[in-house]
Amino acid sequence: MNLQASPPAGADEPLRELQDRLDLSLKAAGAVGSWEWDVPGHRLYFDARLATFQGIDPGEAAAGLPVGRFFTAIHGDDAPRIRIAVGGMLRGAEVFFKSYRMLGPDGRTRWVEAHGRCLFDDADQPERFTGVLVDITARQRIEERLRIAQSAGGVGTFEYVPGLGTATVSEQFCRLLGMEPAPVVAVAAVNGVIAPGERPLLESRPVRVLGDAEYRIVRPDSGEQRWIARRGEVMPDTDGSGARQIGVIFDITDLKRTQGELNELNRNLESRVEQEILNRQQIEERLRQSQKMEAIGQLTGGIAHDFNNLLTVIIGNVDLARRRLGAGADERVERALANALKSSERAAGLTQRLLAFSRRQPLEPRAVNVGRLVGGMFDLLNRSLGEQIEIRTSFAPDLWSVEVDTNQLESAILNLAVNARDAMGWQGLVTIRAENRTIPEAGEGDELRAGDYVALSVTDTGHGMPADVVKRAFEPFFTTKEVGKGTGLGLSMVFGFVRQSGGDVAITSVPGQGTTVELLLPRSAAPAGEGAVTEVAGDPRPERSATVLIVEDDADVRAFAADGLREVGLNVLEAGSGDEALRLLDQPEPAIDLLLTDVVMPGMTGRDLVDQARQRRPDLPVLYMSGYPGEVIAENGRLGPGVVLLSKPFTMQALVARVAEMLERAEPA
Amino acid sequence: MSAIDTIELSELEKDALTEVVNIGVSRAALSLRRMIGEHVLLSVPSVEVLSRQRAATLLVQQGGDQLVAIKQSFTGAFSGGAMLIFPQARSLELVRAVTGPEMSHDEIVEMEQEALTETGNVILNSCLATMANMLKRPLTMSIPHLVKGDGSDLLDQVDDEGDVGLVLFLYITFTVRERDLRGYIAMMMNMSSLLALKELLNAFIDETMSEEL
Repeated sequence: MNLQASPPAGADEPLRELQDRLDLSLKAAGAVGSWEWDVPGHRLYFDARLATFQGIDPGEAAAGLPVGRFFTAIHGDDAPRIRIAVGGMLRGAEVFFKSYRMLGPDGRTRWVEAHGRCLFDDADQPERFTGVLVDITARQRIEERLRIAQSAGGVGTFEYVPGLGTATVSEQFCRLLGMEPAPVVAVAAVNGVIAPGERPLLESRPVRVLGDAEYRIVRPDSGEQRWIARRGEVMPDTDGSGARQIGVIFDITDLKRTQGELNELNRNLESRVEQEILNRQQIEERLRQSQKMEAIGQLTGGIAHDFNNLLTVIIGNVDLARRRLGAGADERVERALANALKSSERAAGLTQRLLAFSRRQPLEPRAVNVGRLVGGMFDLLNRSLGEQIEIRTSFAPDLWSVEVDTNQLESAILNLAVNARDAMGWQGLVTIRAENRTIPEAGEGDELRAGDYVALSVTDTGHGMPADVVKRAFEPFFTTKEVGKGTGLGLSMVFGFVRQSGGDVAITSVPGQGTTVELLLPRSAAPAGEGAVTEVAGDPRPERSATVLIVEDDADVRAFAADGLREVGLNVLEAGSGDEALRLLDQPEPAIDLLLTDVVMPGMTGRDLVDQARQRRPDLPVLYMSGYPGEVIAENGRLGPGVVLLSKPFTMQALVARVAEMLERAEPA
Repeated sequence: MSAIDTIELSELEKDALTEVVNIGVSRAALSLRRMIGEHVLLSVPSVEVLSRQRAATLLVQQGGDQLVAIKQSFTGAFSGGAMLIFPQARSLELVRAVTGPEMSHDEIVEMEQEALTETGNVILNSCLATMANMLKRPLTMSIPHLVKGDGSDLLDQVDDEGDVGLVLFLYITFTVRERDLRGYIAMMMNMSSLLALKELLNAFIDETMSEEL
């Protein structure tokens, strides 16, 4: 019995050769055995290997089996089509090349590939059907893995020899490009899927390296635009077919989209961060400025206080000396004293301005219409600015009234006008405007509260200020004027006053064109009053004899004040501290008609003293004297109810006048 | 008129059709062998049923827009058209394979039309005749001729009997003088023809499954 597949005698020689060659190569490839089927004899023979493979006794297999055994071990799902294929063979098909599953005796399933030929007799009837089986389980698994890797990973493979018109591709490759799945595709068709203007995916020029590339494609099945990446290698020529390009493609549309969105976000983020940083910087700048001003304010306030005490004594004594000197005095002495007094008063003015800047000056605000106020100042303004300057005003007809200390406001306006004059070189146009303005919710870092304000502005056509000057304009002692021409305190006073009044001030300036300073003053609920501040004129004296209790820790100032009051006929008690004062108050005799106390004292402050004194005597009139009234001052620089203040340094005249005024108003003790 | 607008062949029916055509091309290979005097191996690994559009797309994607085909129409139990298609780049190879290495390039170009038509005739005739035999029904075939064009052009040229029709798409491997050439056989049939074919295939299956071995 022939166990080797061999054609019967008489068959074509070349065919037999082919058969032998097939046998050899298949054996080399791992054939598991061969079969021979004697068709007319209805007998099937397996070689020893194939018999063992199927768990059949080789002796039995060599002796011949029923033909049906060919199909016994074939997997149930595959058996029908193998049956049909065998049927085809028997009817004339020449080539039998099928792969299917076989169940081994150990129960394991193997994939096999059958290569078979059918030989016909002269009557064209099938005579012999022979072939070999190759175990392709391993190969099948690898192919399965490759297939799953591709479909699960969304990757498609291609193999291409440059110069040829077609490439070998996987099903997934076709699907990724929206092409009909086929094992072989035309290069032109593949490159045709790429969007116009892009490089081809399959390069027909030979290349040494297949670089990573990205392509925009238009799917032929849907028209959809996608992004595809290609990666691969060039395998060198080994069989004369030329270097092969082997690689994969995968879809990166989502990646590109995300990248795009990320880039956009980054750009936005960058500009948002920039914006944010800028904002922060601005806020920090404002904070720094504010803190600087605050620190300066503290400093100047402290200095002013001490200075004021000294000045009070100086002024008081010099004034006293002058009076004592009287009419028959040596003219030189008279003049010397006059000069001393004038300078002292100027020094006092200076400390006032410093206090104004440090926002610690006492204010007496009242409702006023700024339009009318400016109108009342017109003469003063004209005199100060000179003939060659034109002054124009523009006030809203329904202008709200504001709550401010009118003295300070006049002073501020005058200050601004003088600055305008100097900036214009004594000729040009000054415009003073006032209008109503409502401020919406305050932004971050703004100190100004939302609400109604009157915007009062002074505009000139002078040389203007560059930005770095504007930034420092409100600092005390900062001035661009020459030495001797201006103290540099003007704008800082305006700043202090406006801020203390609950408003704000801002400068806008264009170098070469002019400057506008705008004050925002809080609107007053009350209607504007008509009168100006009542002046204390003349030389009022108390009309009756009364007792005044002076409380002051500085002995000189106390002595000065006490002397002055005694001179006008008042009875004066002195105390160096709050405790002493209370002891005196508690004494029934003499009855005290007025309490004159310093505000800032060691131990009990003036305020505390007054609180305690008022517990004993609720109606006791109180006059504060102070060079540093920070504590006494309640909100917005206003004095609390029932608080009357005499600012140091004061002249004797002022002291006496105030005391007289208060005694007059009060009921007799 | 059938309500279904698409027809499907089951896996087994596809297998049966593949085998029937396999038989057909085997017969053709025999004839060609005698014609050429060389070994020729023809096989049909698989078959697909596609709409005309998909078949056209597939053809374009397979061989670009330059195809050459030998076409023939048939009538009988089922009717339609059949084409043997090769990419134009391959057709000269086919001719060379068929005519042998002794011919010069010019001679081959001259012979191209004739060689292709003759080869195509043998193959298609054999396929269709075998199908008729196996399915035990007679078929009448027209004279084949050569056409060139792209996928749509080729498919458009086949007459069918009015309705949309489907394409039986078969890959065919043509091995001669140790070269492999790939081509396609496309059979265009209308709905009723396909249904008839289905019936016949099932008869073939039954016969095969039950025959005594």
